[in-house]
Amino acid sequence: MTGYLELRDVAVSFNGFRAVDGLSLTVEKGELRCLIGPNGAGKTTALDLICGKVKPTHGSILLNGRPLDRLEEHEIARAGIGRKFQIPSVFKELTVPQNLEVAYCRKTGVFANLLRFARSVESDGLEKLAEMVGLEDCLDAPAGILSHGQTQWLEIALLLAQDPQVILMDEPTAGMTAHETRKTAELFKRLKGRHTLIVVEHDMSFIKEISDIISVMHQGRLLAEGTVQDIERNPEVREAYLGSGGITGA
Amino acid sequence: MEFVLQQFFTGLSIASILLLVALGLSIIYGAMGVINLAHGEFVMLGAYTAWALQKFVGLNLLPSLVVIFFVVAILGWIMERGVIRFLYERPLDTILATWGLGVIMQQAVRLAVGGELRYVEMPSVLSHSTSFLGVELSVYRIFIFAVVTALFALTWYLMQRTSIGMKLRAVIQNRDMAACFGINADRIYGLTFAYGAGLAGLAGALVSPLKSVSPEMGTTYVVDAFMVVVLGGVESLLGTVASAVLLGELTGAIAYVQNDTVAKSLALLAIVVLIRFRPQGLFVSKVRA
Amino acid sequence: MVARIDSTSDRVPVLRRTWVQISIYGAVCLAIFLVPVVLDNDFLLNKYARYLVLGILAMALSLSWGYCGILNLGQALSFGLGSYCMAMALKLRTVPVHTGEGGLPDFMVWNNVQELPWFWAPFYSMPFALFAGIAVPVLLAVLLGWFVFRARITGVYVAIISLAALVVVNLLIIDQQRYTGGFNGITDLAQLEILGMEFDAYSSASYYLVATVLTVCLFAALAITKSKTGLIMQAIRDHEDRVRYFGYDVAHFKIFAFAASAAIAGIAGMLYTIVMEFASPTFLGVPLSLSVVIWCAVGGRQSLLGAMLGAILVTGMQGALSESETFLDTWMLVMGGVFVAVVLFLPKGLAGLVETIVEHLFGQGRAARAATGKPAAGKDVSGTGKKAEEAA
Repeated sequence: MTGYLELRDVAVSFNGFRAVDGLSLTVEKGELRCLIGPNGAGKTTALDLICGKVKPTHGSILLNGRPLDRLEEHEIARAGIGRKFQIPSVFKELTVPQNLEVAYCRKTGVFANLLRFARSVESDGLEKLAEMVGLEDCLDAPAGILSHGQTQWLEIALLLAQDPQVILMDEPTAGMTAHETRKTAELFKRLKGRHTLIVVEHDMSFIKEISDIISVMHQGRLLAEGTVQDIERNPEVREAYLGSGGITGA
Repeated sequence: MEFVLQQFFTGLSIASILLLVALGLSIIYGAMGVINLAHGEFVMLGAYTAWALQKFVGLNLLPSLVVIFFVVAILGWIMERGVIRFLYERPLDTILATWGLGVIMQQAVRLAVGGELRYVEMPSVLSHSTSFLGVELSVYRIFIFAVVTALFALTWYLMQRTSIGMKLRAVIQNRDMAACFGINADRIYGLTFAYGAGLAGLAGALVSPLKSVSPEMGTTYVVDAFMVVVLGGVESLLGTVASAVLLGELTGAIAYVQNDTVAKSLALLAIVVLIRFRPQGLFVSKVRA
Repeated sequence: MVARIDSTSDRVPVLRRTWVQISIYGAVCLAIFLVPVVLDNDFLLNKYARYLVLGILAMALSLSWGYCGILNLGQALSFGLGSYCMAMALKLRTVPVHTGEGGLPDFMVWNNVQELPWFWAPFYSMPFALFAGIAVPVLLAVLLGWFVFRARITGVYVAIISLAALVVVNLLIIDQQRYTGGFNGITDLAQLEILGMEFDAYSSASYYLVATVLTVCLFAALAITKSKTGLIMQAIRDHEDRVRYFGYDVAHFKIFAFAASAAIAGIAGMLYTIVMEFASPTFLGVPLSLSVVIWCAVGGRQSLLGAMLGAILVTGMQGALSESETFLDTWMLVMGGVFVAVVLFLPKGLAGLVETIVEHLFGQGRAARAATGKPAAGKDVSGTGKKAEEAA
């Protein structure tokens, strides 16, 4: 069986430390997959591998049957993979609309973009996006002055502007209030189906709300996979989490 | 055979001067990430201090060395406290700021004592030559070689075996964490910069009897020293030594077969290619990105 | 998520600011054009034309450094190559007068060169020379950029490599005296003649030529920075790695910025030969190249106009003080101090200072409007300039 996004026995090591060690993961199109695990399980590295930030030393990564692991980051992005980083990464010196304009990347060539000026037709749509994530009051300000929560939202908005088929989210709700987290959950549920999402999170209540299937990583490999109930009942998962006070305390 | 030896010693002599200038630069760059374009001016100030002490105080070069080290080190400390410490977050801007400081020092010297060439006398005990394995060698150059070896050993000892060196290495790895453990990172940085500057001053004083002293003499040294540091890899003292010897011998060899211009161009091109393919330096193993 | 009816009005200031910017740029260019009307002194016009040319050069650096974060310490390389291309063409026009029809440029005769080198021959054609003055620097920039940026070399290393490239070419030009005039450069040139118009260095014609080219280059560069490519360049300056994950090939954009900057610098170099009436290795020397960085930083690296005016201001002052050597030395000392102060306190240069002042005077409405919005955002907006500077 082949899935839409597939990691086959992927491994990578840094100076002998195997951060991801024989990870196999299959995600179907339109699915929202949650990726959890104790600290140091290799979740972020798994996302790094998919988006090309880290190249695997072993194994292969396929999107719709097309191998990604030998491509450069921008080629992987063009293939349809978008990424939100754990530490929110936006363009601090650019304004919110400018950030969105950069993220809106239908054309990626130098000369194709040379004749496009920032006030194009699309900018209206982009501003609706800024409104949607509650940044309509900060349109004139450089992104560097936004609060942590707002920066999180901006990066999510950047991904919506980019509109990739696969969205990788690394701890999207970190630093958000309970209200904002709920809003994020709603958004994710809407994105599901149209996009394929992989979400790395620690907040179990958030995961319970959005997830269908959870994949648990431990020490660089896949430990378990299943619904929330399956995972909560799984003794191996409980053992892996024991040091950090059980799954809900992670 | 004698010819090969002669070539080898010429190269070694070039290498020891290269290392002398590069050592301070390597510490400042490796430890603080500061590209110090004013390094050449520290060298120049060391040479001028030697000249001034000889001319106005009548002090011989050898006893002057101690004074020179402290004079230039204090100046370096003032520079670090006054300017550089504000720029640790903006490494590219340190290039600009240190270059501006270099211009200030150069012009200040030019205005104070004029732009003409000055000469420093070689200490008479060292101004003869000796024969070694059938090769004529200048005693002064042997002396420089010895001083460089001693300074290198001292630096290595300071970095690896003393508490201040340990604190410095802690600050290099994680400044905030080190500060949490009560290490005064500011003081460490100030002292490191001062030490690097002092070494440059010594370098200037030591080469002053071999070359004429002028306000712009530092520029050539700083370029060569940079090559040594880049080639050796930052944060690697042993790499700095290896690359100084390599570059010294190479320059000596190429200069013998070709003219100086070609030698220099080739060396620069080699550096460019090196940075392209091994930005971490020749003698440093790759670390986690 | 309350939809605000007037949310689109927030876009108006951005649009208006672009128009204000264009008007200011236009006004400065107009003022430059008006100088010969009030000043009937060919000697001074020539002097001012030189400052303007250096202004174009600094503006070119602003495009790559200020907008794309590429600190090119070898900016004078493109400038010098452009200058030599023009000088070669103008030198060949003197051959019939100096050494007779079918002869060689005089310095080659003195160096016992028997035959015109192959790379000199095409410069008999002025269109070729004009083309080469842009194409040679661009080609070199693309090659160097491809070599450097494909490997993701950034920051300090780019600065070192660009400086090294400059020194290598400079050394070669000085060394190859037989073909390049060596240390003396290429002197004793003919006057440029295009479409029947003569451009005497000491005439308003040359001044107008420089002013026209300056205007065209300035607005072309402005158009680049206002395009989406320009926006992506700024995003790369800000956070290079993030840009990749949107599917842009960062190396391509950097090479483009590097090459566009080289093209403008090459054009400036050609003009410099015309107004100086010679080409010299000092045009691609390290001192000039580093000076460009100073001008750019003082004027404001993130402002094309600021960088240009910075160059004109600094070189103008330098020119005024160059009568006495002590004055000049003191001036260089002061410049060093000013430069350090600018790097420390005004990372955006004088242009940034002006911008902050203007925003404080006229920006009240915008700040007030923003303050009614989210408290987290409103709180900070009044300090935008300062915050952004700290982030930079």
